Amino acid sequence: MGDPQLTVEDLYVRFPTSRGTVEAVNGVNFTLEKGQMLGIVGESGSGKSVTAKTLMNLLPRTAEVDGNITFEGDDVRAVAKERRKHFWGVKMTMVFQDPMTSLNPVKRCGEQITETLRYHLGDDKATARKKAIDLLEQVGVPEPAKRVDQYPHELSGGLRQRVVIAMALACEPSLLIADEPTTAVDVTVQKRLLDLLDGLRRDRGMSMILITHDLGVARGRCDDVAVMYGGRLVERAPTETLFADSRHPYTEALLRTIPRIDQPSHTRLEPIAGRPPELIDPAEECAFAPRCRYAQPDCLGTIPPVGGVRGQHEFACFHPANTERGRQALDANLAAGQTVTGLQIQANAGVN
Amino acid sequence: MARFIARRVVQLILVLLSVTFIAFGALNFLGDPLVNIVGPLAAIDYCDEVEAGLREDSYTSINNSRGDCEIIGEAKADFGLDKPVIQRYFTWLGNIITGDLGTSFQTQLPVSEIIAQKLPKSLMLMVMAQIIALAVAIPVGVYSAYRAGRAVDRATSVASFGLLSIPNFAFGVIVLQFFALRNQWLPASFDDTSIGTRIHSLILPATVLGLGIAATYQRLLRTDLLTTLQEDFVHMARAKGMTDRHIMTRHALRPSLFSLITVFGVSTGALIGGSLVIEGIFSIPGIGSEIVTAVVRDDFPVVLGSVVVIATGFVVINFFVDLLYTWLDPRVRAS
Repeated sequence: MGDPQLTVEDLYVRFPTSRGTVEAVNGVNFTLEKGQMLGIVGESGSGKSVTAKTLMNLLPRTAEVDGNITFEGDDVRAVAKERRKHFWGVKMTMVFQDPMTSLNPVKRCGEQITETLRYHLGDDKATARKKAIDLLEQVGVPEPAKRVDQYPHELSGGLRQRVVIAMALACEPSLLIADEPTTAVDVTVQKRLLDLLDGLRRDRGMSMILITHDLGVARGRCDDVAVMYGGRLVERAPTETLFADSRHPYTEALLRTIPRIDQPSHTRLEPIAGRPPELIDPAEECAFAPRCRYAQPDCLGTIPPVGGVRGQHEFACFHPANTERGRQALDANLAAGQTVTGLQIQANAGVN
Repeated sequence: MARFIARRVVQLILVLLSVTFIAFGALNFLGDPLVNIVGPLAAIDYCDEVEAGLREDSYTSINNSRGDCEIIGEAKADFGLDKPVIQRYFTWLGNIITGDLGTSFQTQLPVSEIIAQKLPKSLMLMVMAQIIALAVAIPVGVYSAYRAGRAVDRATSVASFGLLSIPNFAFGVIVLQFFALRNQWLPASFDDTSIGTRIHSLILPATVLGLGIAATYQRLLRTDLLTTLQEDFVHMARAKGMTDRHIMTRHALRPSLFSLITVFGVSTGALIGGSLVIEGIFSIPGIGSEIVTAVVRDDFPVVLGSVVVIATGFVVINFFVDLLYTWLDPRVRAS
């Protein structure tokens, strides 16, 4: 397959604050092949958005970044000056969570699409306008010729997100990062938007990183899914493997929080006990240990390294779920009624 | 639009009625124009006592052929001061409607003529001051928000607070001393010879006024811009690869102008008649100094005429500021 399109190696992102250093991303590694779709799943504060912003060079100046990011042969963190001008927005681009706020309220929709075309491709006004109308049509905006002259507040949330997508696709990027693109829109619109993104991606042979906190969104669309927790990548696998045979206890817990069609109705969904990890000066231990039903003394001593089969199914856990080691750990904890971190667990929970 | 204008006209009328009513009342309660017209005798109970037969009308102070009270009485009638305040107010109001602002008690010149002579100078000063203020504040505000926390931002913050804390008269005197007296770079006083000399001689006072307002504008714009720069659409524009300059000027600036133009409207109104200290320092015969003189001398018609002009200016300018809001933000247009 040759070199992957995107390689992220040992990515660290820290934000110095008055309360201490926020370790937002802690040694993340992943690759993305051309035309693939990678899902990055995690809860708020897991580092998924910061990872995306690092790729897009959108971090505030105070952020301390370390690691290597290579995209189509370019070192993303040190793009040559003359190539910088037409790098982001042309080769890789991003769609944000909230279409209500990601469009400039005082500029016409059309202008927000054409400004990229005019700047990056040097199109004249008329050409850019024609292209903008075409783009709006491609993303399924009805009456595109009318919409280009409308202001964002005149459109519904779903339409706005389509305009944002058109905006992002204007210069035909080879990688699109979508940061929770459907979180802020109506549930009924979500699926349509995701299908639209997926279709556009396939038509254009574009790679995509889909960031979401909803595993259900990633399923059926992403080739691979990476799960992040506490600034680390805790598991990464082809989507179906992840759903069928998850290894990391956090992934397993996440899967329990989504309703499944093959379960009887009224099956109780299980929330994940405890709170998200502290990111300011975290302890040298597995960040999930305080909430983990499998936690053992060794989880508190060191941070589990990423293991498993490299490039296939990687996970960072000493006592992975659905393995013998994991079962032993869980049985021991169930017998004790609590884990090494003091988390109370009950025998009936989660053992099928 | 027609309704919008109609509402504004009604508002203007209400503002003018209340402002002039208050001004009229205050002037009449606090001062007596007769004192300045005929002398101090008018202020005391002298004539009341003469009328009551308690003393004789002596032939001393002004004209020895007629009694003082006779003269005071004549003056009262001439200037319409023998009528009750309310009646005089409505007479004055009636005259205003026909375009007659009255005549000065002091100079006997029509008030409209005095205003026509003084107001343009003050307006010119105000316009120049605002141009300087905006020309300084917008680029500096944009740059300091763009490089917030860096050296340039810190330096401009210090400069802004300096300009905000130094009173106009002190700053004016320093500037006058340095640029006009010690080094004769610019004229020290107003030169009415031609439009060129007018502009030239107003550069210093307009700069003093303008920099003071510029400091306020810069602070407001910087704060609003910093808020706007947190918005998703700014991140989106960056993700689209637009240049920093494009993002600052084409995306962030316009939605960040609201506080600035609000204060712009208010300060423009205040500057029409409010730059009297600067007018004094730089010897500009403007409306500000005229009002002060008129108030001190209880020259009611001049004071009231100026009040009408300034209040009208205030309302008209803020009407345009409201129009600016709708231009700045299409969402305002819809509502």
